This record gives sequence, C-alpha cells and structure tokens, in this order.
Amino acid sequence: MLSAIISREFFSNILNLRFIVGVILCVIITIACVMVLTHDYQQEMADYNLRINLQDEFLSKYAHTNRMGGMITPQKPPEQFRPLIIGIPREANLGSFDDNPLPVLFPPLDFLFIVTIIMSLLAMLFSYDAITRERQRGTLRLLISNSIPRAKILLAKFIGGTASLLIPFILSLLAGALYISINPAIQWDSSAWAEFSLLIAASVTFISLFYLLGLMVSTFSRYSSTSILTCLFLWVLLILVIPNISPYISAQLYRIPSVNKIERQVNHLLDTERDELGREFSREVLKKFAARYGVIYSEFESLEFGGLWGECSPENRKATQQRAAADPQFKAMVDAFREQINQAWSEANRIQREKAEQLRKDLTTKATAQTKIAKNLACISPYANYIYLATDLTGTGLRNLDYSKQIASEYYNMFYSYLEKKTQQAMKKDPTFETNSFLDVSDRPRFVFKEEPLRDKLDAVLPYWGILVLFNMVFFAAAFAGFMRYDVR
Amino acid sequence: MLKSIIRKEILNNLLSYKFSIIIILSTILILVSIFVMYRDYCLALENYGVLQPKSNEAIAIIPPTPLSIFAKGLDENLCRSYEIGFGGQIRVGSKQESVNNLFRLFTTPDLLYVVKVILALCAMLFAFDMVSGEKEVGTLRQTLSNSMKRPILVIGKWIGGFTSFVVPFFIAVLLSTILVTMSPLVQMDGENWAKLGMFLFSSVLYLAVFFSLGLLISCLTHHSSSSLIISLFLWAMLVFFIPNLGNILARQLVQIPTVQQLEVKRSQIWIKEVFERINREKNYREVVGSINSENDKLIADYRNRFDRLVSVSQNITRFSPAAAFTCLATDLMGTGISEERRLKKAVLLYKDLVWNKQQDDLPTFNFHRSSIKEVFGFGGLANLMILILFNMLFFVSAYVAFLKYDVR
Repeated sequence: MLSAIISREFFSNILNLRFIVGVILCVIITIACVMVLTHDYQQEMADYNLRINLQDEFLSKYAHTNRMGGMITPQKPPEQFRPLIIGIPREANLGSFDDNPLPVLFPPLDFLFIVTIIMSLLAMLFSYDAITRERQRGTLRLLISNSIPRAKILLAKFIGGTASLLIPFILSLLAGALYISINPAIQWDSSAWAEFSLLIAASVTFISLFYLLGLMVSTFSRYSSTSILTCLFLWVLLILVIPNISPYISAQLYRIPSVNKIERQVNHLLDTERDELGREFSREVLKKFAARYGVIYSEFESLEFGGLWGECSPENRKATQQRAAADPQFKAMVDAFREQINQAWSEANRIQREKAEQLRKDLTTKATAQTKIAKNLACISPYANYIYLATDLTGTGLRNLDYSKQIASEYYNMFYSYLEKKTQQAMKKDPTFETNSFLDVSDRPRFVFKEEPLRDKLDAVLPYWGILVLFNMVFFAAAFAGFMRYDVR
Repeated sequence: MLKSIIRKEILNNLLSYKFSIIIILSTILILVSIFVMYRDYCLALENYGVLQPKSNEAIAIIPPTPLSIFAKGLDENLCRSYEIGFGGQIRVGSKQESVNNLFRLFTTPDLLYVVKVILALCAMLFAFDMVSGEKEVGTLRQTLSNSMKRPILVIGKWIGGFTSFVVPFFIAVLLSTILVTMSPLVQMDGENWAKLGMFLFSSVLYLAVFFSLGLLISCLTHHSSSSLIISLFLWAMLVFFIPNLGNILARQLVQIPTVQQLEVKRSQIWIKEVFERINREKNYREVVGSINSENDKLIADYRNRFDRLVSVSQNITRFSPAAAFTCLATDLMGTGISEERRLKKAVLLYKDLVWNKQQDDLPTFNFHRSSIKEVFGFGGLANLMILILFNMLFFVSAYVAFLKYDVR
C-alpha cells in the first residue's frame, strides 16, 4: 500500500505544471551558470598565471633582502570549485584603490542559488498543498477510510514528493557535471568528485527540509491558499531575513574598535616609530665606535660610513671599499660596524613588530568573537547552515580563508628561513653585500596551494549537516503531530 | 462603477489572510531593517569621527550619508580613508566590516533589499490570483454578466489591489523614518529629504512593475496555482538571475585585471624604484616621479576598463527591473556606482593637488555627493524610464490579455 501511495504522489507531481517549470528552470539556470562561471574560472586562471610570471620576472631583476615581503606575496589559484560555487568574493577585502564594487551591489550567482532559492521554493511549491489539496478535493477522506495508518500516508507523501522533486535537481546536476567533466580547462581529481558527491547529499538534505516544512504547514492548514502564504512567509524569514540580519546584530552586540585606526597605528609603529627607534639605536652604535676607534672612525665618518648608515655617494662607497681592502684594521672596524648597525635595526624591528603584533592580535581576537556570534545567530536558519556546509566543503567559504592564511604564513616562515641562509651565503662570498644588494633567489621555494584534506573539511562541516538533519526530523515530527490531529472532513 | 470596483477590491484584500500575513511580514521587516541599518550608520559615524585626518595628514575621507540607512549600497567602500603616501601612492584603509567575513557571505538587509526582493515578491503575491482566482470562485463571470466594461474592471482591480498593498508599505516606511530621523545623529537636509522622496517614488514604481506582472500572469492563466508558480519563477529570474549572472557575464566581455594582479604590479613599481634609487641609478625626485606616473598609468588603464565594464553590465542587466531599480536607488541615495566613480576621480585629483603642492600647507579634501539633478544626468533618468517602460509594458499586456480572457 505504501508503494502505491508513493507512486501516486510521484506521478501526480510529475504531471503537474510546477514540475515542468521546475525542470526547465533548473536545467537552464544550471547550464547558464556553469558555462559563465567556467569561463570566469579560465580567466581567473590566466590572471593567476600572469601574476606568477610577473613575480618571477621581477625577482630575477630586483630581488633584495629588504622589501622581500612585497615581492613574494603568495598567489592563490582560483578554487577548483569556482565553476560551480563562488563563495566569498576574494577581491572584496584586499583594500585596494582599484577594486570592482559591482559584486557588492549584485552578489554573484552560482550553484548555491539554484539550491537555496530555486530548489527550496520548488520544494515548498510541491508540498504546500500535499494535504490541503486532498482535503479540499475530498480524496483524503477516502484515503483515510481505508485501513492505512496516517503515519504511513505521511511517509509515503514525503518519499513520493521528494523523489519527484529531486528529478529536476538531478537532471540539472547531471548537465553541470557533464559540462565540467568534458571541459579540458577543469581538471577535477577524485577528491573533488568526492566533495561534489557530498555536496549533492548535503543539498538533498536541505531540499528535503523545505519539502517537510511545506508538508508541516499543510498539515496545520485547512486551505491551500493559506498554506502557501504561510509557507512563503516562513521561507522569506528563513532564507532572506535571518541570515542577512545576523552579522549586523552581532556587530551591535559585540563592538570592535575601528579597524582603520588600528591599521594606522600599526603602520605608524612599523614605519615612523621603527625608523626613530632604529636611528636611536644606531646613534648609540656610532657613539660606541667613536670612542673605540678614534681617528679611523673619523675617517670612516668622512666617507659617509660607506653607505652602511645614512646617505652616501658612490665615490665614498668605493673609497671605503678600497680603504678596507688596504687596511685590515679599517676592514675589521667596517665589518663590526655593519654587524652592529644590522643588529640595531633588527632590534628596532623586533620591538616594533611585537607591539604591532599585539595590536593585531587583540583586533583578531575581538573580530573572531564577533564573527562567531554572527555565525551562531545565523544558524537558526537552515540557509546559513547549508551555506557554511557547502562552501566549507568545497573550499570556497570562511574556513578556506583561514586555511589560506595559515598556509601562506607557513610559506612565509619557510621562505624567510631560506632567505636568511641565502643572505648569509651571499655575505660570506661578498663582504660588501648588504640588505639592499641584488640577491639571486631563483632556487627559492615556491608557493604551491594545496587543497585542505577532505577529511578535515568533513570534520568541520558535520555539525552543520547535523543541524540540517535535525531540522528535517523536527519538521517531520511536527508534520506527523499535525496530521494525526488533522480533521479530514 | 470604477469606484465600487476599487472599493470592493480594497475591502476584499483587507479582510483576506493574505493581506494580514503580508502586512505583518512587510511591517516587521521594514521596521527591523531601518532600525538595524540605523545602528549600523551610528557605528559608521563613530568610526568616521575616529578617523578624521589631522592637519598634517594627506587623507581623503568622507562621512557616511544618513541615506545609507535606507540603501547602504557601496557606502562602506566610499567611507574608507584614502591616504596619499610616498610617491603619490594611495593607501586605502580597510573597511570596518572586513574583519567579520560573514558580512561578505550574506546580503545587506536595508530597505532597498526589502523592497527589491521581499516586497516585489509580496506585490506578485497580491496580484497573482486577481483574475484567475476570481474565475475559479466564479465571481468574475457574475461581475462581467452586468453592464460592466472589461477595461474598467481591470483598471479598478489594479488601482484597488495596488493601493491596498502600497499604503501599508508607506505607513510602515514613514513611521520608521520618523522614528529614525528624530535621533540627533541623523542630520537630514532638504536635499536628503528630496532624495528619500525620490527613492520612495521609484520604489512604488518598481513595486508597480511586479504588481502589473502578477496581474498579467493572472490574466494569462486559468488556475491560480499555475499563476502562482509562474509568478514565483519569474520573480526569481528577474530579481536574482538576470542582475547577478549579468554582472559575471559582463566580466567575460570586458577584460579587466583582478585586484590581486594590480596589487602585484603596484608593489613592484615602488620596490623597483627604491631599489634603483639605492643602487644609485636615479635621484630621489626621479624615483618619486616615476612611482607617481607609473601608478597613474595603471589607474588610468584600470578606470577605463572599469567604466566599460559598468556600461556593459548595465546594458546586460537592463532586462531586469531589479537591476535598474538598484542602480537608480543607490545613485539617488549617493551610495551607488556613479558616486563611487565620482569619488575615485575626486581622490585622484586630490592626490595630484597634494603631489603638485608648492607650499607646506596640505590641501583639504572636498567632496559632495551628487545632487538629484546630477544623478538624473548620470543615467538615473534612463533607469527611471526603464521602470516606467516596464510598468507600461506589463500593464498594457495585462489589459490586452484581460480583454481576451475567457471567464467561463
């Protein structure tokens, strides 16, 4: 009997106008989206390759120890899921004068739009009248008069309805997957396909949740016309209102100091204040050297310290080198001077960096707390849970930002230890070598972006998935309770 | 006769479940949205107070506009600080929202969003069963069996239905606007009130587009359930699909470098110049001159491409009233793309002033957001015309469809 009701529900749905509209829309939107986003992905890839080439070429001509940070910024390729999901627009926060603000006004459209807007609406349109329509027609009364338990009827309606609902979704996914697999520009490995399968499973959980919500509302309504309005009311609240309001509420609940002000303080600490401190330490070095070396120091001073401190003409630089080559005592002084001055600046850098780091750390702690509040607030809505789940699973979301930051900082650490070795080698080879001299870094370690392991991603997204399943259970239980007491007359 | 149709339509709506649920939803949303955005504006104002430049700092910064409470648009971008530094380089301050990434995942829930997305849906829900619904219950046949002319009936239905929808919206907006503007922090001058008035007028025009579209669909279908399905999907296409995909499509048609690429090039410019300076190939004046001119070239190239991108994207998305309305509303409120382009131009001029200054005194940065006249000059009028055109198109189509409608 259960299978009979399932098949009846299934066929009555697929012969309906909403099914045809759903199929056409889903397939057209998916294909349009995947095609446009794939092209966008290819452009991003070309831009990424160009950036890598620009950096390589620049380093081959201008690499020097000072300012190296600005020359080796890790370049991240576009995410492999970019042809399907855009996630967080990466350009938004770079703080550049030339940015494209269009995505702020018109958020980009991707696969998540199909699931969260089109499919959730379709799910509710399939289920809002599942009970009320039958009551209004009188068929529910006939059905109940047989010896079938109400629970079975509800379960059959859920299974049959969801199965018919998933046809447009699966069809559009197949079209999308086919396009991705035959496109030579996109090379997905097995782990990407595994993520894709998990994404489908998560989407099905999300879609069935809205089907159950519609079913629940239907069991509490007498007429289809009221049921659809209640459904749309809930849909608007859950999808369009709660998630969007939550970051603003959290910003009110948990204040953070002005980001811009802290940035300026950090810049001041690392720039003007660092220079002042460095000069102060250097002057102490000068005093010490003046006392220790006397006459040859005065001679060194008259040669503008050979460029090791302050401005120096090329003639004086050359003269210092010649003087050092001729006189071992002078050379020993110059070497010691270079070392002490470097130490003075390193010390100034260290002190100022620590201060700046403290400021940044305070801000990050507060910002993390605010983001956490917003994230948890938004979890009231299944939409937010699904967005976290889908974007984190495919490496296009909040988690990916943290992950990218972490691997970039690992790269910096690796690069700076390489740079230190390289600088020492260069100093040994050439005693006049200093931080502004050209340094060959062609054998440097390169930044390679490696996707986060699927296991780690899965561990992180399971709680959100759990919440979605819980929503499913709650709505089913509520629909069950409503249907048990439903007056079928 | 027209009067009684309008009266019947209004009373019919007032007593319906649909009316109560939509009014509850829209009132709550409008009040919550305006209150949330008002608090956000207060935070932005506080932030602006902290960032005011000192007399020895070459910083361009503008205060947030109180109109951002209603349509925030790009105000967060516009109110960043632009500091003119070494070699005429422009250092842009981070947005306050940049530390909370959730802002980037979700949309701003301002009045513009409520009108553009939610009230447009409500307008369609009001209109979707005006004709097909009456046909189903049989009242349409009875009404037309009298000496009632179809044009009068359809016009009466439109006026009655739209009035009962739009009046509560106006009351909710007025109520929340009065509450918000009573705060001493919100300083609205005459120009701002006029802009707000124009914004509300364009909102009504925009909602009328969706209302007429709902009526048109209702006149083309014979069951309210099919009318509802078609309405919902057209709404999703017009509000989300066309504007949002259109912008990505425009990016395929106009080659524009990414911000990351520009950042790489920008840092390379100054590092190269400083390196050459230290190694004594150039003097200081030459170095800063090169940094300035190279950056100028980079910016000029980008701005040209960006201007082309904006015009292509506007041409593509014009098929959707939602895109035209977004552009018109944000431009009117001084938080749109045109304002962003004007501000960037002003910052560049200010940079040149600082760069070419003869005395020690730094010039001050002056910028006024566009007046209504300027907004209409920059393409606002075209967007307004698009909304009017859509209205006429949908209403005339609904009118024609109703004249041919089979009421049996």
